[in-house]
Amino acid sequence: MASSSSSGITFKLHPLVIVNISDHYTRLKAQTLHSGESSSCAPPSNGGTAGSALSAPPRVFGCVIGVQRGRTVEIFNSFELLFDSKTHTLDRAFLEKKQELYKKVFPTFYILGWYSTGSDVEEADMLIHRSLMDINENPIYVLLNPAIIHSQKDLPISIYETELHVIDGNPQLIFVKSSYNIETVEAERISVDHVAHLKPSDGGSAATQLAAHLTGIHSAIKMLNSRVRVLHQYLVAMQRGEIPLDNSLLRQVLSLLRRLPAIESEKFQDEFLMEFNDTLLMTYLAMFTNCTGTMNDVVEKFNIAYDRHSRRGGRTAFI
Amino acid sequence: MAAAMETVESLVAHIQALTKPEDVAQLHSLLKQSQSDEALRSQAPHLAPLLADLDPAKHSLGYLYLLDTYLYSSISREQVAAFLPSIARFLNTCSAYHIRFASDKFISVCRCFKDQVMRQQTPIQGIIPLRSAVQKLQNSSEQLTTLHSDFLLLCLLAKCYKPSLCILENDIFEAENPKDLFLFYYYGGMIYIGLKRFSKALECLHNVFTSPMANLNAIAIEAYKKYILVSLIHSGQVPPFPKYTSATAQRNLKNYAQAYLDLTTAYATGKHSEIEACIQQHIEKFQSDNNLGLVKQVLSSLSKRNIQRLTQTYLTLSLQDISNSVQLNGSKESELHVLHMIQDGEIHATINQKDGMVIFHEDPEEYKTCQMVNQMDLSIQRLMSLSKKLTAIDEHISCDPAYLTKIGRERTRYEFDDFDSVPPKYL
Repeated sequence: MASSSSSGITFKLHPLVIVNISDHYTRLKAQTLHSGESSSCAPPSNGGTAGSALSAPPRVFGCVIGVQRGRTVEIFNSFELLFDSKTHTLDRAFLEKKQELYKKVFPTFYILGWYSTGSDVEEADMLIHRSLMDINENPIYVLLNPAIIHSQKDLPISIYETELHVIDGNPQLIFVKSSYNIETVEAERISVDHVAHLKPSDGGSAATQLAAHLTGIHSAIKMLNSRVRVLHQYLVAMQRGEIPLDNSLLRQVLSLLRRLPAIESEKFQDEFLMEFNDTLLMTYLAMFTNCTGTMNDVVEKFNIAYDRHSRRGGRTAFI
Repeated sequence: MAAAMETVESLVAHIQALTKPEDVAQLHSLLKQSQSDEALRSQAPHLAPLLADLDPAKHSLGYLYLLDTYLYSSISREQVAAFLPSIARFLNTCSAYHIRFASDKFISVCRCFKDQVMRQQTPIQGIIPLRSAVQKLQNSSEQLTTLHSDFLLLCLLAKCYKPSLCILENDIFEAENPKDLFLFYYYGGMIYIGLKRFSKALECLHNVFTSPMANLNAIAIEAYKKYILVSLIHSGQVPPFPKYTSATAQRNLKNYAQAYLDLTTAYATGKHSEIEACIQQHIEKFQSDNNLGLVKQVLSSLSKRNIQRLTQTYLTLSLQDISNSVQLNGSKESELHVLHMIQDGEIHATINQKDGMVIFHEDPEEYKTCQMVNQMDLSIQRLMSLSKKLTAIDEHISCDPAYLTKIGRERTRYEFDDFDSVPPKYL
């Protein structure tokens, strides 16, 4: 049902949308799970329905909004919608009320399409899609796959458009998959980073947060180091004549080098070294404590093992 | 006789032939075999000219065997004395790889060398050869050999302390013989005292009497006496026994060092007169232990300690007041003392000669130089490697059957039944 799109429209997806959809889904899942558990504590006559509610994860629905400039569609934000499961339609009045509210705050944004969760496009989705066609003549459908597949490295997001294809003599609308890029503003990157790195299980412990922070810095520095090394090797090869000279690249490297060092003054050196030495002293102290602890253990064990007249006063509980 | 001579000559020929590293094992077995023959031993006195033929650097192993046989045969003292330079040359130039095949022979040769040098009352001759011998014999700088203590003894007798520093500064992690360890650290402590590096001396002496020992030994007692004196000079008090001192040491050492403990109590009062009285009381004891020099240093350190105490109370003080509170004779003497202390880095102060005031400062180290960074980096690296070693030792002891037996036996009823920390086979 889905083949690659040929409309030539580039899609730019902001991470806020992804976070919103996943957040909506997770909250709903948590709530149904919770309500499913509480109803299973009720008399066993309800046991059957409670079980079925737990097994199938609910689908969430919502609207995506953004800006379309020429051939570029930029999806900025999204909001949730009420879904009427009996008529398989979205609540129209709610949608229009929400649209009005958003229009007041973001006048440039308008409804680009809708989103849902699931593993693949379903038949019922076409109905919803058609209903949105009077707001936007070519709505897009963003699909998030909530199943966590650890081997899959890409984002489980797919964007579908509709195209008119002739199948068995009948012109039909079918969903075609389109490619998209992730577009971020600085502020968005920071917040997404923050959300991504918080571990809810032991986020309160200062030690793990510090360790996570330091690991992040370490990997960043490592990457910087490897990149600089690559550049260095490239330049050395150029110097030796193995690679033809590229002046524009050399100019870029020169401009990069001119930016360092950022500060060069006596006072800065002093203060910098003092802080550096303070941190080193803290590390030294930490190492000392660690070492002393180990030494203490060793000495105790040695005393117990080899001292003939070791202190055995009273019964002590050995752990 | 001639036949024996021939075998010796053929042996020498072999030695000269087999010089490649692969052949050393073969040469070694050949030499061991010849050792058991009488031929070599009977010819021993005549080996001297043959030894001249061999090159100590290339034919180290063969040279060693022949040298050993020669020295322990019935030759006179003068002959040994005459041979001393060649032995010294051998020790300096021999190849470490060869030597390690026959380490006990090497040690006996060095022993003989040391005895001769001491007999001749010229210990200084033996220092450099023995140092190279020590460095060649040890597998790594962390290993202690029997030669270490001999080497330090020679340095002490010759009063030449500098050459020993490179050996003393290595941390020792392996030792074969406890007596070697005791002697090494005892002599090392004495060398550091001679160099006036009291903190290192304390470390060395500390190692002697805190080593695990089943029975008390004389070296530990002497070390403990010196330890008391040096810690009085260095820090003004004697720290209590650390946890890892053996119970034998803890119980018995104090009985042998009563005079020194009295000195400690006298020192604590901080009065010259008390200390002098105590010294007079025990003067024969101090003299017989050869510690009188150190005791005198303890006395002079008292004034230093008192001046240091003054830095904690006053910001500025006149020289007259210093001499009054420290019981020195006049401001000139106190000025001299303060000057010496500033030079040694023990206090930070400036003397204003115009009005005779001394202004005490804080430690000017601000920790903002690159050298400090390097220093700390080095210290941290050392600590990290030490920590790794300690963790390895910890794991090793945890698996030790002696330890497990003791732990298992002391298991009480309070232990959970289904949580058996020690398997029954160790009980």
